[in-house]
Amino acid sequence: MSAPPLLHPSIPPLRSDEFPAGAAQWPPDLSRRDFVQLMSASLALAGLTGCGRPTLDKIVPSVAAPEKSPSANARWYATAVPSEGYARGVLVKTVDGRPIKLEGNPDHPESVGATDAITQAAILSLYDPDRSPAPRRRGETSSWHRFETEWNEMRGALATTRSAGFAVLTEPTTSPTLRREIHALLDAYPEARWYQHTALGRYDNAGLQPDYDFAAADVILAIGGDCFHQHPAALRYARAFASRRRVEHGSVNLNRFYAIEPTLTLTGALADVRLALAPHRLARVLNQLADSFDGAPNTAGLSVDERSFVERFARELAGGRPAAACVVGAECDAEIHAWAEDFNARFAGNVVQASKAVRSDDDPRCRGSLAEFIEDVNSGTVTTLAILGANPIYTSAADQDLPGALRRIPMVVHFGEHVDETASMAQWHLPAAHFLESWGDLRSYGGLATIQQPLLEPLHDSRSALQFLNWLRTGIWSSSYDLVRDTWRSASGVATASDFEARWHAALDRGVVDEPLPPRPENRAAGSDPLPRLDVADDTGTITVLLRADSNVGDGRWANNAWLQELPRPFTTIVWDNAALIDRTQAEAMGLTNGDIVACEVGGISVEAPIWILPGQAPGCVTFPLGYGRTAAGQVGNGCGFNAYRLRSAASPWMRTGVTVRKTGKKHSLVSTQEHFTMDGRDLARTVQPHEITQRADRPKPATDLFPAWPRDRYAWGMSIDLGTCTGCSACIVACQAENNIPVVGRDQVARGREMHWLRVDRYFGGEGTALRVVHQPVPCMHCENAPCEAVCPVAATVHSSEGLNDMVYNRCVGTRYCSNNCPYKVRRFNFFDYRAPQGSPVYLQSNPDVTIRERGVMEKCTYCVQRINAGRVAAEKENRRIRDGEIRTACQQACPVEAIVFGDLNDPTSRVFARQREGISYALLGELNTRPRTQYLAKVVAGSAPNPAPEPA
Amino acid sequence: MTSAPSSAANISDVPNPALAVATLASVTEHVSALPLAHPRPRFWWLIFLTAFAGVMLLLASIAWLFVRGVGIWGINIPVGWGFAIVNFVWWIGIGHAGTFISAILLLLHQNWRTSISRFTEAMTLFAVACAGIYPLLHLGRPQYFYWLLPYPDTMGLWPQFRSPLVWDMFAVSTYASVSLLFWYTGLLPDFATMRDHAATAGKKRIYGLLSLGWRGDARHWAHYERLYLTLAGLAAPLVISVHSIVGLDFAAAMLPGWHSTIFPPYFVAGAIFSGFAMVLTLVIPLRRVYRLEAYITDRHLELMAKVMMAMGWLVTYGYFAEFVASWRGGNLYERFVGVNRATGPYAFAFWLLLACNILIPQLLWRTAWRRNPAVLLGVALAVNVGMWLERFIIVVTSLHRDYLPSSWGMYRPTFWDWSTFLGTIGLFIALLFLFLRFVPAISMSEMRGLIAKKEELP
Repeated sequence: MSAPPLLHPSIPPLRSDEFPAGAAQWPPDLSRRDFVQLMSASLALAGLTGCGRPTLDKIVPSVAAPEKSPSANARWYATAVPSEGYARGVLVKTVDGRPIKLEGNPDHPESVGATDAITQAAILSLYDPDRSPAPRRRGETSSWHRFETEWNEMRGALATTRSAGFAVLTEPTTSPTLRREIHALLDAYPEARWYQHTALGRYDNAGLQPDYDFAAADVILAIGGDCFHQHPAALRYARAFASRRRVEHGSVNLNRFYAIEPTLTLTGALADVRLALAPHRLARVLNQLADSFDGAPNTAGLSVDERSFVERFARELAGGRPAAACVVGAECDAEIHAWAEDFNARFAGNVVQASKAVRSDDDPRCRGSLAEFIEDVNSGTVTTLAILGANPIYTSAADQDLPGALRRIPMVVHFGEHVDETASMAQWHLPAAHFLESWGDLRSYGGLATIQQPLLEPLHDSRSALQFLNWLRTGIWSSSYDLVRDTWRSASGVATASDFEARWHAALDRGVVDEPLPPRPENRAAGSDPLPRLDVADDTGTITVLLRADSNVGDGRWANNAWLQELPRPFTTIVWDNAALIDRTQAEAMGLTNGDIVACEVGGISVEAPIWILPGQAPGCVTFPLGYGRTAAGQVGNGCGFNAYRLRSAASPWMRTGVTVRKTGKKHSLVSTQEHFTMDGRDLARTVQPHEITQRADRPKPATDLFPAWPRDRYAWGMSIDLGTCTGCSACIVACQAENNIPVVGRDQVARGREMHWLRVDRYFGGEGTALRVVHQPVPCMHCENAPCEAVCPVAATVHSSEGLNDMVYNRCVGTRYCSNNCPYKVRRFNFFDYRAPQGSPVYLQSNPDVTIRERGVMEKCTYCVQRINAGRVAAEKENRRIRDGEIRTACQQACPVEAIVFGDLNDPTSRVFARQREGISYALLGELNTRPRTQYLAKVVAGSAPNPAPEPA
Repeated sequence: MTSAPSSAANISDVPNPALAVATLASVTEHVSALPLAHPRPRFWWLIFLTAFAGVMLLLASIAWLFVRGVGIWGINIPVGWGFAIVNFVWWIGIGHAGTFISAILLLLHQNWRTSISRFTEAMTLFAVACAGIYPLLHLGRPQYFYWLLPYPDTMGLWPQFRSPLVWDMFAVSTYASVSLLFWYTGLLPDFATMRDHAATAGKKRIYGLLSLGWRGDARHWAHYERLYLTLAGLAAPLVISVHSIVGLDFAAAMLPGWHSTIFPPYFVAGAIFSGFAMVLTLVIPLRRVYRLEAYITDRHLELMAKVMMAMGWLVTYGYFAEFVASWRGGNLYERFVGVNRATGPYAFAFWLLLACNILIPQLLWRTAWRRNPAVLLGVALAVNVGMWLERFIIVVTSLHRDYLPSSWGMYRPTFWDWSTFLGTIGLFIALLFLFLRFVPAISMSEMRGLIAKKEELP
């Protein structure tokens, strides 16, 4: 085959091969003059590619760095992570121009300086090797230029028809600029339509969203949902809740928490009294609950658990009229929300306040959701579609034939970070920039705005959603920087240009825009009107399938994040998979054990899923976590789990009734990091009754020792972990992973018991029915003063520091694993293989330069973030002072939303950790072994009559 | 049938039963013929090549281990030690019989030992060689094994002497070197005999070199006797110390199921128990193939069976003491270990261990069965398996469920665990057959000495 002439092509090449055939040969008709022309044009054009990119000299570092880093080039920038469209304020640590860690922004009310697990893991998604690098046309790599050419050909047609048939599909957003751009697009194209799609719930009710002050609530009733874990305000709520659970100086202003839910959530697990209730029983129980408020207690037709719940809750409200708040999950019906509104109007006072919805769910200019969209497609009124960010092919309900609808549209453009399921259905896929690569803005659940700053130039040839929408309208690639500034320049309260610049700078610095919030509507006057009667449904006797967002991968968007895949799920500790969660009684009745595959059939669709037996499931309810079974997530997420969206119906997205569940006889080996969930009569995670708080725990007297005690003359680092406030959210685990360069080992290695997390959260279940107790116990290295690991290492690779740290010297370790065998807490982790990422992997860009990357064959473990201690020491010694309390925070401590983890100097009697370890309920895990751990626990205080499981004499 | 001597004092009176038929000339002729004439070559080649295939398997396993890391084995957190340590302790235990027979029985004037001492010493060396491979292989970074040695390095770093692994390293290397010296010293006169009987010049030269110029001079004999006794004196306490220290590897840890003061003596008894079982396992078929019944008589087998049984009872006492201590000690964790061993996921191994180590050896109460090579071989094989299971139970069941139930796990050996184990068995047999092929398997000089004594004192 002869190569076509390269420079004078009459026909453009159909393929965009980087090196087309014949490229290496010098074309005979290329003169020196042509060559020089070509080269100069290339050079000139090379400069142009920078156009439209954000320029990094405009970003503003945070003035008060939250943590000193020994790396001279570390800087902190305030920005926001989108979480279901809402802002979570973060500070991004960058070293040498690469973002390496996200921390909570203390100035941001929805972050309270903390983060959740997904936020911690979001940094890894920036360096995801599977991110889309270039535009694709029908699956073939193409270029922006070709897309622009093709679109511009249509642009004229769109203008002539007032863009009839043009549709935009986005996710609901809180971004003022994005909304402004969408509105502007709709203005420019009057016939264009805007649809919004989210696979997860709405947090508003007819344009109003309730907001809670849990610190002021004496009694809380949670109906469904997961307000302390999966909620846009979860961090703020959890911290407020924890403030009523934390024992300080022997006292606690304990609230009472009641939860009704069909499946165990982290929120429900915190409840003093928790009722596992199938959805169809909910109306009956609430009606009878309402009766009891009105002095007509009626417990007829209730089960034992239900009756005890109703009676106890009624007793709570009977005396003294405490401030009681009812919070309802997004998955509950509108009438339950209405019931809760009335409940709150009657009991909550100012604990609950409604405000205008922040997110664009009910934007009047939005035509609707996927249902309306499909209707319009079927009526033939959509001919051109731009999908921004969403992945509806994967997340749409099974009874919505979205693939069929998309096939009917001649031109579908998908704009997203990944070549996902939707991208493969689109004519064009365009790569979107990551939120750390582009300017933007977002509002938090509370309504405060944050300007998102780019922390690095886009790694790929990608654009931001703002730019793309703007380009669709104008045909010009503006910079997102200008677009965001345009929004805020015209914001209320900005007087002059210099005023704007000052405000802009302050907003970037603090991470929060200083603007007045819209006034909140007045609460209804507290009355004693009876609560509305709910329609009682009949028990059909069939199995109910509950569909819930996975606690790690959410609606599936985080499926390609290896940290979140390997993060043990709360309660089940399953990794790299989802499983249908089922009650033990039901499993036994069906002859099922963990990992047995069942076929669930409803509405003609059958989904096969492995089961996992979990306490706290309502009878007859099987929970299917969404977000798995992805086919185009990337190398990490593909092929993990099963797709529960197939069980969804548009009419009933959160549950299906009348499901038949059949045992298939097949088995799937689910991998979990914890295989035993009972304490076996051992005194490990303590719970105490409120009256026991002041009783001083029996502390074993330190035994006399042949070896001299460690000197405690300078600093004595220690930690206190509060089991009473820990929600089990696992943010600490991912924070530790991000901070300490902890590798991901993969499903197979976890199955062999080789996960590498330095910090784990142990789960123990006890009790039954309404007295079900779940205790989460984070276990880092205890930094024992009598460390069993140190005595047995033959090469002194694990040694005691003068400040009480149990140090691990990687260079010296030969890998006998004797230390791990001798560690009663089993917190040591071993590099059985070379777990480092392959050479040249972009995930190295995330690595913390202050922490060694460990090689094969060495032991590792929690260091109390020794790099942070050393940085703090450097800072203190420069100023010739002692390190102040709170100046050094470990990564787990910093991430914890409820301040369950406190680290500090036990030699300092004014330190928080000292005060906590002096509490009567503070105890050492396995203290009877005389390991004298520096990490101690505060027992969990449980209101209620559930007895403390008495340990057998040890 | 003679009545079995019932005490150690009686045993010491027993002359070597082989003396009944042997003469000075027949000993030399018979024994030196094994290497020089190489009888039964097909048997030798068959076994040797099979064992050599095992050596190749071992090399392949080691190569893969070095390429990929110790993760190819089934170890994990919490079970940080698996087959490598199980096999190490097992082989070291087997390596105890040789020195026990040569040194301790020599010092106790047990003349019957002469027929089997050479062979068992060789077995000891090869077992220790197999054992010695494991601690090295099991390291995460085996290239730095020498950091356990107290060598003067530039950073002034020493081993951490509180660690039993350091003691272990000293104990095993001392034991290996003393055993080697002892064995080689005993071989000197025999190498000289071989040199004198060898047919070819090459063999004469090689055996000549190995005999270090031995001429049978009276001064040679005097030095030799003194050195041999001194080495025996040195080796005797090592028999006790090595396995005591291996026992301390476990006892010094604070793990329930390991942390037990009975471990050192109980390990020594177990080691000798398994060592004698292995001697019987090897000797019974070999004496038949090479027609050595005149030297290793049924009476020898019976005596070894008695020692084995005595050790078996010591081991049984160890189990009992451990069980009582954990049950009556009031320690929740210790008690759980006992319950978990008997009823947990590895219960089958535990009960099999009790059957092999306690139940089956009771067959040997009958004199007829003690003298029946087939029965004895069966019992010895059972004890070999039982002692391997004992180490497996100690290492794995203690680790897999310790203090925090959240960290409990399972250990599942992989292909590479098994291949490495089979590989060392191959290495052991290959070395043993090379020994049979090139070195006199029975000490000719000692046998001749005994015969001479008998002729002097009829």
